[in-house]
Amino acid sequence: MKMRANTAIGGLLIGVLFATAATAAFWTPFDPLKVNLRARLQPPSALYWLGTDEFGRDMLSRIMAGAATSVLVSVLTVTFAVMIGAVIGVLTGYLRGWTDRVIMAANDALLAFPGILLALAVMIVTGANKFGIVLALGIAYIPSVVRVVRGTVLSIREKEYIEASRVIGNSELYSMARHVLPNSLAPVAVLATSMFGWVLLAESALSFLGLGVPPPAPTWGNLLAASRPYMESAAWLSIAPGLCIALTLLGINLLGDSLRDRLDPRMVQG
Amino acid sequence: MRSNRGIAAFTTLAMSAGLALSLTCVAAVPALAAGGVLRARFNADIRSTDPGTNRDANTDGVMGHVVEGLVAFREDTSIGPMLAESWDTSEDGKTYTFHLRAGVKFHNGSIMTADDVVWSFKRWLDPATQWRCLSEFSDSGITKIIGVEATDPRTVVIRLERATALFLGTLARPDCGQTAILHRDSVGPDGKWNVPIATGPFKLGEWKRGQYVDLIRFDDYASRTEPRDGYTGAKKVEVDKVRINIIPDSSAAKAGLLSGSLDIINSLSIPELEELKTHADVKLSVTPALGLTGILLQSNDPLLKDVRIRRALALSLDTKEIADVVMQGTASANNSALPIGSPFHGAVEDQGYTQDIAQAKKLLIEAGYKGQPIKMIANKRYSFVFDSAVLVQAMAQAVGLKIDIEVLDWATQLDRYSKGDYQAMAFVYSARLDPSLSFEMLTGPKATQPRKVWDNPEAQEMLRQSMLTIDTAKRQALFDDMHRRFIADVPMIVLFNGSELAALRNNVKGYAGWLYPEPRFWGVSLQ
Amino acid sequence: MLMLGYLVRRLAMTIPTLLLVAIAVFALVRLIPGDPVQVMLGDSADPAQVDALRRQMGLDQSIPVQFGYWLAKVAVGDFGHSITNGLAVLPLILERFQVSAIIVLVAVTIAACVAVPAGLIAAWRQNKAADLAITAGATLLLSIPSFWLGLLLLLLFGLKLKWLPVIGYVPFSENFGQAITFIILPIATLAMIEIGALTRMSRASSIEVLRLEYVTHARAKGAPEWRVLARHVLPNAFAPTWTLIGLVLGHLLGGIAVIETVFTLPGLGRLLVDSIFARDYPVVQGCLLFTAVIYVVVNLVVDLCYPLFDPRVAAE
Repeated sequence: MKMRANTAIGGLLIGVLFATAATAAFWTPFDPLKVNLRARLQPPSALYWLGTDEFGRDMLSRIMAGAATSVLVSVLTVTFAVMIGAVIGVLTGYLRGWTDRVIMAANDALLAFPGILLALAVMIVTGANKFGIVLALGIAYIPSVVRVVRGTVLSIREKEYIEASRVIGNSELYSMARHVLPNSLAPVAVLATSMFGWVLLAESALSFLGLGVPPPAPTWGNLLAASRPYMESAAWLSIAPGLCIALTLLGINLLGDSLRDRLDPRMVQG
Repeated sequence: MRSNRGIAAFTTLAMSAGLALSLTCVAAVPALAAGGVLRARFNADIRSTDPGTNRDANTDGVMGHVVEGLVAFREDTSIGPMLAESWDTSEDGKTYTFHLRAGVKFHNGSIMTADDVVWSFKRWLDPATQWRCLSEFSDSGITKIIGVEATDPRTVVIRLERATALFLGTLARPDCGQTAILHRDSVGPDGKWNVPIATGPFKLGEWKRGQYVDLIRFDDYASRTEPRDGYTGAKKVEVDKVRINIIPDSSAAKAGLLSGSLDIINSLSIPELEELKTHADVKLSVTPALGLTGILLQSNDPLLKDVRIRRALALSLDTKEIADVVMQGTASANNSALPIGSPFHGAVEDQGYTQDIAQAKKLLIEAGYKGQPIKMIANKRYSFVFDSAVLVQAMAQAVGLKIDIEVLDWATQLDRYSKGDYQAMAFVYSARLDPSLSFEMLTGPKATQPRKVWDNPEAQEMLRQSMLTIDTAKRQALFDDMHRRFIADVPMIVLFNGSELAALRNNVKGYAGWLYPEPRFWGVSLQ
Repeated sequence: MLMLGYLVRRLAMTIPTLLLVAIAVFALVRLIPGDPVQVMLGDSADPAQVDALRRQMGLDQSIPVQFGYWLAKVAVGDFGHSITNGLAVLPLILERFQVSAIIVLVAVTIAACVAVPAGLIAAWRQNKAADLAITAGATLLLSIPSFWLGLLLLLLFGLKLKWLPVIGYVPFSENFGQAITFIILPIATLAMIEIGALTRMSRASSIEVLRLEYVTHARAKGAPEWRVLARHVLPNAFAPTWTLIGLVLGHLLGGIAVIETVFTLPGLGRLLVDSIFARDYPVVQGCLLFTAVIYVVVNLVVDLCYPLFDPRVAAE
């Protein structure tokens, strides 16, 4: 019963997020890039609901535009990492042997590579833009997906129903498609929701270190990073994007949990 | 120990003139210091303790307390005597005779003589030392030093191949290690750098890499008697020790100042200054600086090679407003290559660009501009550079110029700068202390020096002239002429010179910033 | 015997991994535009000076030649010297690593001690008030950017309450008590963030295990609930969480740069980021290779321990 509330709240939060992002593509109260030097660092008011930043740009408009960018970056990154990672993970976990060893060596090499350098290098090669960061963070997260999927596959493939499937003469490929993939979905769903959060957070951390999606185009990460010098005097600048990140993550996680429960084949069968 | 050194000093001095004796008496009496430890902050570690070789701005800033040269920069960027009492210049400008001050002691207690000066110059000019400024004294540089001789224990004669206006200024340059006079024990028997044994008001204390550098008061320091003046004048140390904490994060530094774990932080950014204004236990020091912030325009670019487009951009800007907003009233607008604080910055240099939207639009139509985007590189390492870029973008939009800002990290931007690989770039030049050098950093043939932004052969010839002549009036006329051409060519739009901002706790007395962007901890006391 | 063979094979496998890392690191670092000499000399660099310094540092050689030199030296434990300050790279890394390692280890230990039981309780009380509270708490912690949390803690405890020093670092060898005051906040920040991630993982895997037949069996046999949880669920639920801890440890060494920047700690993460910005190739290469070795070792240990926690995956 409670799961329904999870789904409802999560769905609502994410619905609002996507609606905001979609709206921002067509309309924002002000131009998010429009500088207005006569209205610098205004606290929230009837005109500027979330106040203005150090260039007099409307924060609400920037948050809305930021939602669009942040959502796009996160969705693309997670999709990219999960799709590639899950396939590799299932293959290595199921086939084992030399394939597994070679892929896991490469995987470990990639995992052992701090994401920061990867992000910097990739972004410089592709140019500092949002697709650079998708590629950079996507590559950085693939190994985690591979590892988790492979771990699950390793523990599942010993289970009776897989044995049974094999015994009754189903091919390896069929067993894999029929049983392993759906069974790995639950942990991957959990990982993917966490990853959505990680990407949002990683983007803000990279912005903080000066490596994120470059301003002046707003993302929640660089809005938060840019608000830092004004934490004491203009707290609204940091509260709004911080809260947006937190609420989005809350929504994503709630939704992810209920999704997980639905995807779990044993739940469905039971 | 101290009494032994005192006796040694006395016997040496007894052989010198009476004047010298009286000077030593001044030096031997330690300043009536309140003492204590002054806790300062730098944003990055120093590179080494070896001045003028393995260095950066922070290294220069720390070493400026430890080492001294024959001459030093005064507050107004003119050159004053430091370890030299005075100097004579021959008529042809090729021979300099330096008369050394008497009774100046090295940190190890021995007295500085003309021999130490000769040894130091020999070391600087030895290619193995890798002196940053050696190239200035080579065939491609300003002149060559063909002889350094000690004619008596207090007189040194330096002979140059050709006369130059830049000789003393180059010697005094902080990034050249102020061509410090060092004791020969500063290097090991193998000639490798060991530790600076110099004549400055501070000795180098412990250096804990990545954490702090200590400066210890040098009790036997022989101070000059004039008031504090740039890197010369009196240097009275009023604290026992200065601990320079290495704190890269400026928010953390600010927090440290407010919580009382730091006494002074300098090189503040504007937002930090704004925030600190509201705290009662902190006071602020604002000083105009010599750096140059502006927009470089690549005249090799297919679009920007048209001077009308460059000029349209210049006319679209309200530089005064940009300076006001970006620097929050701490700096004035300046369109000239010469910093406002320079003695050569006069009425001519005040003539820059005046915003003229109609004229800008007209120029764009004449040039056939059709909204092609201009990519402008900026960085977030210097917030004022990025902020300027945003404002320029906004103002250019009003005349129909479309600018896209591309933010790069500083190393990448520097790479693009030195290759000339950009359309437009918001950039900051570091302080140049001589007007010739201010133009030298801008003008040159792009074919051989792609980093130069202004390729104008006539300007290059004028620049050459300005380096050769010592006559101030002649130099001023050359700089005025260059300024007019610079404004007409619009190779770059200078916006402002910035300012050096420091915040101190209320109990810190006597601190003053100056044109050069490094702090000075002499004359500063804690109460 | 079987175990030993596995160990040897795993160890042998790390060598190509590390070699791959070495090549990738070297190539990637050189791909980044910019030049250490240029950064050192700044805007007033004169090309002749730049060339001279590059020659002197061997940066004018071709990249494969530089790589060969570097690898040959690394093989005998010589990581070279920093371009910016001339320090030997390996001692520098070890010194900085101590700082990071203490913070990461303590924070992850604390996080695991809190998160694993919390996740278990949440799973056990699935969809009840306790679960909702724990999940909400974990989600909230997970949602806060680390530097943001760090700064808030710094503002609160350092500036407003003045309980803890705001800046600096004292090694444990110098003054134990003082050292603790400097690393409490970074550890707290890191631990709070990690508790979020680990609790969710622990909860998810506990739910998984709670559904397994042997748990139902144990319950049916009349074992008390706490015994079922402690004996049957906890060890099994710990396995996936253990994998995540391995991942976390590795990633933290890169991610800790942010925390180290906020709290001005001279750790490995900050050394790496500073060196990247300064294009200090030997230090960047050294840091990355070192991190890679640590990471590979941690994961080896995790893998070797995996069978201990999950009897279902026996050593092959």
